[in-house]
Amino acid sequence: MNAVLAESAETHRPSAVLNILKQLGFGAVVSVPDGWLGEMLVRIEQEPTMRLVRATHEEEALAIACGIRLGGVRTALLVQNAGVLSMGAGMVSLAQRYQFPLLMLVSYRGTLDDPVFYHVPKGRVTEPVFRGIGLAHACVDRHRPIGPQVEQAATFAEEASCPFALLLSREDIQW
Amino acid sequence: MVKSAMATAARPTRADYYQVLADNLPPQALVVTSLGNASYLWATLHEAPENFYFEDAMGLALPLALGLAVAQPKRPVIVVEGDGALLMHMGALVTVGAVNPANLTVLLIQNGVHAASGGQALTNAGLDLAQLARASGIASSENIAKPESLAAKMRAGTKRDGAECLVLATEPDLEVVRPPVAFDPVATKLRFQAAIGAPRYVQTLFGGGKLEGG
Repeated sequence: MNAVLAESAETHRPSAVLNILKQLGFGAVVSVPDGWLGEMLVRIEQEPTMRLVRATHEEEALAIACGIRLGGVRTALLVQNAGVLSMGAGMVSLAQRYQFPLLMLVSYRGTLDDPVFYHVPKGRVTEPVFRGIGLAHACVDRHRPIGPQVEQAATFAEEASCPFALLLSREDIQW
Repeated sequence: MVKSAMATAARPTRADYYQVLADNLPPQALVVTSLGNASYLWATLHEAPENFYFEDAMGLALPLALGLAVAQPKRPVIVVEGDGALLMHMGALVTVGAVNPANLTVLLIQNGVHAASGGQALTNAGLDLAQLARASGIASSENIAKPESLAAKMRAGTKRDGAECLVLATEPDLEVVRPPVAFDPVATKLRFQAAIGAPRYVQTLFGGGKLEGG
């Protein structure tokens, strides 16, 4: 990719996320959507090298992702932060206990940039809960290109054999 | 053969069905078993690297098996899940119906209790789970009351377009079976992945940073 194209793709950060997932050989994405993730999932469904599984609940999605990874396919989980709050038991007793490397791309709702009254309670507790359940995570730096940050998160998950959650802003993931 | 402590003439035991499964396991089959005796007894009857044993994570064996079936479409995947576990994540049945992988067989032990935690009553022990599975999109779903029926079903090996769900009416087995091997989750996973030749991650230190092989 030349410099102009690279800059263009990076300007549209959701495109950069999708591109890096393809480049890294992610063959599957498991998701429970939210408002920010919806169009990204449609784009993933259109990718010939990726399989999208739409789950009914985030803890179920986590288990499906573990199963796909068990079968040897690199897998990402796309969910809202509220979904991670509701998958605690599966996170510790399945994903972490069996040491499944999973990239989790998590829409970070209820932050200062997303002060929706019903998202705020979830945003307030997200990182404390992640720390509480021992879920490795980081917030995306909006001043840096998104692609390398996704790659670093994916690499961390594999090298550490654990799930890694990258918390995303609206401009990172909403198409 | 391991016998259930509560076996009666009313319903077959889990061991009865498991013997049928062991005797008729399709070639290349991968078996995912739910927590408790679902795993301990299967390890007793048919310990193999192609088994993936759950220790806990109740209700997540079915969705994990779905993911495995998606990743390994050429191999039969059989999951043994309990009725109590299913009720905890009933949505997974809908996802199985939506994805509908033809290589996935769901064996649903219907014993009417939470056997793995001591036999507590279910919220509703009398559901027609085969009907529920059909309504969830799994067309090939059937209630089975005898091990012979399961054996006939497995021997027939009928080709189908989607997943299959066989609901096995079973007597509760509350006496914990001692498995013949130590259950170590990471060892279970790594052994399983080696047995199926799954691609493995090569660390960046060694010039990898991606999945290789398989």
